[in-house]
Amino acid sequence: MKTNKLFLALTALALLACNKKEPEVIVPQTADYKGTVTVMYKGEPYDNENIEVNFTPSEDGKTASITIFKIRFVPQMPVTIDVTIPNVQLTSTSTEVLLSCDEVIPLAMGGEYPRYKVTNLTGSIEHGTLDFSLNFGDIPTTFTGRQLLK
Amino acid sequence: MLTAVLSIFITLTPPIDTLPPAYAKAFKESMPLEKLASPVSVLLPAELKTEGVVGQARLSALVPSLLIPEYGASLTSTVYLRGIGSRMENPSMGLYVDGIPIMDKNVYDFDWTGIRFAALMRGPQATLYGRNSMSGTLVLQSASPDGETHLNAYAEAGLAKTLRTGATVSFGQHVLTAGFKYSAGWSRNEYKGTLCDPYQGLSLRWKWEQAPSGKTRWSNSLFATLSKEGGFAYGLYEDGILHPVSYNGEGSYRRISLIDGVGFHYSGDSFTLDGTGSLQLLSDDMHMDQDFTPQNVFTLQQAQNSATGTVEVILKSQKEHWQPSAGVFTFYRYNRMHAPVTFGRTGIENLILDNANRNIPEEIGYLTIADDELLIASDFGINTFGAALFHESVFTLGCWRLTAGLRLDYEGGVMAYDCLTNLHYRFIPTMKADKALDVPYHGTVSHSSGLQVLPKLSALFEASGDVSLFGSVSKGYRAGGFNTQIFSDILQSQTMTALMKDLGVYLDNLPTSVGAENTRYKPESAWNFETGVRLVKENFRAEATFYYMNVRNQQLTVFPPGKSTGRMMTNAGASRSLGAEAELDWRPGAFHFHASYAWCDARFVSYNDGNHDYSGNRIPYVPAHTAFASAAWRHSFGTVNLNLSASVRAYGPLCWDETGLLQEPVHIRPEARIALSFSKWELWLRGENLTGRTGRNFYFKSVGREFFSLERPCNILLGISINI
Repeated sequence: MKTNKLFLALTALALLACNKKEPEVIVPQTADYKGTVTVMYKGEPYDNENIEVNFTPSEDGKTASITIFKIRFVPQMPVTIDVTIPNVQLTSTSTEVLLSCDEVIPLAMGGEYPRYKVTNLTGSIEHGTLDFSLNFGDIPTTFTGRQLLK
Repeated sequence: MLTAVLSIFITLTPPIDTLPPAYAKAFKESMPLEKLASPVSVLLPAELKTEGVVGQARLSALVPSLLIPEYGASLTSTVYLRGIGSRMENPSMGLYVDGIPIMDKNVYDFDWTGIRFAALMRGPQATLYGRNSMSGTLVLQSASPDGETHLNAYAEAGLAKTLRTGATVSFGQHVLTAGFKYSAGWSRNEYKGTLCDPYQGLSLRWKWEQAPSGKTRWSNSLFATLSKEGGFAYGLYEDGILHPVSYNGEGSYRRISLIDGVGFHYSGDSFTLDGTGSLQLLSDDMHMDQDFTPQNVFTLQQAQNSATGTVEVILKSQKEHWQPSAGVFTFYRYNRMHAPVTFGRTGIENLILDNANRNIPEEIGYLTIADDELLIASDFGINTFGAALFHESVFTLGCWRLTAGLRLDYEGGVMAYDCLTNLHYRFIPTMKADKALDVPYHGTVSHSSGLQVLPKLSALFEASGDVSLFGSVSKGYRAGGFNTQIFSDILQSQTMTALMKDLGVYLDNLPTSVGAENTRYKPESAWNFETGVRLVKENFRAEATFYYMNVRNQQLTVFPPGKSTGRMMTNAGASRSLGAEAELDWRPGAFHFHASYAWCDARFVSYNDGNHDYSGNRIPYVPAHTAFASAAWRHSFGTVNLNLSASVRAYGPLCWDETGLLQEPVHIRPEARIALSFSKWELWLRGENLTGRTGRNFYFKSVGREFFSLERPCNILLGISINI
C-alpha cells in the first residue's frame, strides 16, 4: 500500500516537473510606432511630435531596420526626411527586445547618408513601447512611442 | 453717353422683310426677322462678296459689338460679342449652319465658300438656340437647289501667295460646292528662317433638298473640311519691346471634319413640324511650342477625335393671334483627346529641377533628372450630354407682338483621365545611380450644369408702318466643362510629389496645385435687358439698341502664378456689360452707305483671384468700341458695271489683362474694292488693311513671359468670278 502511495507521489511530481516551462523570449514583430523624436539642438531639446517609426526585424529576428518618417534634425530645416537605420542588433528576453548598434551609416534620400552616421544606439521594445537613443552624427536623438494598432 | 452713341447702324442688306424664303427657313423663330425684338445683322450674297466675308473673322466690327481676332490657328476661334467671350473651351456665340448646331468650337473657323447668307442675332438666344447662344447666334445658310442648273466659280489671289478658289454647281435637287484656300504665310519665324503660318485647306459641301409633296420636305447637308496649317505666330514682349516670332518647336494644326445633317419639314393644316438630326465628326492634331522661344523648354500636342450626335424636333402652330412653338433638343458628344506635354532639357532644368532644388537645402543635396526629354502623357475620354425642352409663344395684339419663352436645359459631362510620367532621377550625393520612377495619375471626374431655366420675355410695338420699338428680357448660358490644359501643371506637381515621396523628402512649402477634381468649371449665365428702335423705310434702314447684361460665373482664361505651364478656365465672380449698338443702311440711287457702331463697357463686378481684387476693371480682350463704315458707288457703262467701294473698320481700345494696365489702342483698318461686272463675269481688285499697320491682336503669358501676336499686314487681292 505504501509502495503504491509512493509511486503515486513520484508520478505526480514527475507530471508537475513535465508541466514546468522555461520562460519564453519575445519574438520581434514588424510594427509601427508613433511618438516623439527629440533632438538636441544647440544644447536644447527640440521635439518632433507625432513621428511615425517603422520597426522591421529580419527573418531570423537577430537584426532589424528602423525607419523614422519625416524627421527634422534642426528647426530651420525646410524639409523633413525619412531615415532608415539598418542592422540594429536585437536581443530578446522574456519581457523585452533590446536594441543596440555601435555604428552604422543610415539610409536617406535614396542611399547611404554618412552625414548623419548613427552611433551608440540603445533601446528596447517593451509592452508596446519603443524607446531608443542614438547619435545622428553629433546630434543626440531619442525616440519614445507607442505601437499603433492595426 | 448712351445717347451720344445712339445713331449709326447699318445693315448691308435690303430691308429684312424682303429676305428670300430660302434664307428665312434658316431660323427657328415663328416670325419674320424684322419683327424680332432683338437686333439682327444680315448679310446676303452681294454683301458677303463686296466686304470679302470669306470667314467668320471678317464679321468683326461689321457686326456691332463683335470681334473675332485672327491669331493662333483655325481651332482658336475666339469670339467676343457684347463683352462676353473666351479663348478656350465653349464659345459664347452659337453657330448654326444649314440648321445644324455646330457643337465644337474647333470647327467654327472654316472657309465660307458656298455660304449664301449670314445673320447674327445679338443678345441671348438661348430659348430657341440653347447652349452657348449667350451673347448671340450666328446663322449661316449655304446655297440651296432650285431645280435649275447653275455654276458659280471664283478665284482670288493676293500677297503672301494667297489663293482662294472655289465653285458651286447646282443641278436638280443637288448643290455641290468645293473650295480651296492656300497661303504661304505672313509671319516669319526668325529662329527657323521660315514662315510659321502657312495654310492650305479644302472644303467640300453637298446639299440635297427634295419636296415629295407640297407638305413635306427632306434635306441633307454634308460638309467636310480638310486643312493643314502652321500658326501660333507669337513674339516675346519684353521691357516694352515686341520681339519677332522666334521659336524652335513645331507649330502646326491639321483638321478633318465631317458634318452631316438631315432635315425634315412637314406642313400640316394648322401646324408645322421640323426635325433635324446631325452627326459631327472631328479629327484634329495640334502641335505647339508652348514656350515660344528658341530654347528647348516644352511642347504640347493636342489631338482630338470626337463624334457628336444632335437631334431636334420643333412643332409650330400658326394661328392668327398666337403662334406657339415647342421643341426638344438632345445631344451626345464623345471626345477622345491625346494631349502629351514634352519637356526638353532646358525645360527640365529651368521648370522642374530649379523649382524642386530651390526648396532643398544645399547641405542635404540636390536632384538631377537624366532624361533628355520628359514626357507627361495625358489622355482623356470626355463624354458630354445634354437635353432641353423649350417653348415660345408669340402673341399678336394689334400693334403689339409679345413673346414669352422658356427653355429647360440640362448638360453634364464625365471625363476619364489617364496620365503617366516616367523619368530617371538621382539625388546627389546619396544615390549612386539613376532610378526609374513611374507616376501614373488616372481617374474620372464629372460635372453637371444642373437644370438651367432660361426664360425670355419680349415685346415689339409697331409705332407706325416704318418705326417699331422693342424690348426684351432674356437669360442665356454657356456650358461648363473641364480644364484639360491645366493637366500639365497637375502632372508636374504630382510627379514632384511622388519623386520626393520616393526619396523620403517632404517640402514644407510644397507648391500648391489643383487636382483633377478642380478642373471642372461651372456654366456661365447672363441676364440680358435690352431695348431698341428700328426704322425701315424704302431704301433706308436704321436700328439702335441699348443693353445691359448681368453675367454670373463669367468664364475666364487665367494663368496660374509663377512658372506654371498650363492655363485654365475659371469662373470669375461676376461681371456686367453695358452697351449701345447702332446700324444704318442707306441706298440712294447708285450709292450704298452702311455703318455700324457699338460701345461696350464690360467690367468685373466682383473678381478676386486670391491675389488681387479686379472688381471694377475692364474685362480683358473686349473692345470698348467697334465701328464700321462703307460707301459704295455703282455705274453702268452699257453692259459693264463699275463698282467702287471703300470701307473702314475699327475696334478698341481694349485691355490685355485683368489689371487693365496693359492696353491696346484703337485699330483702324481701311479697305477698298474696285470691280468690273459683265453679264456673267466679274473682275475685281481689293485691298485689306491698306495702311499696313499691324496692331497687336492677342496677348498671353507662358511660363511667366508675355507674348503678343500681330494682325496681318496689307493684302492686295485680284479676283475673278463667273456665274452661268
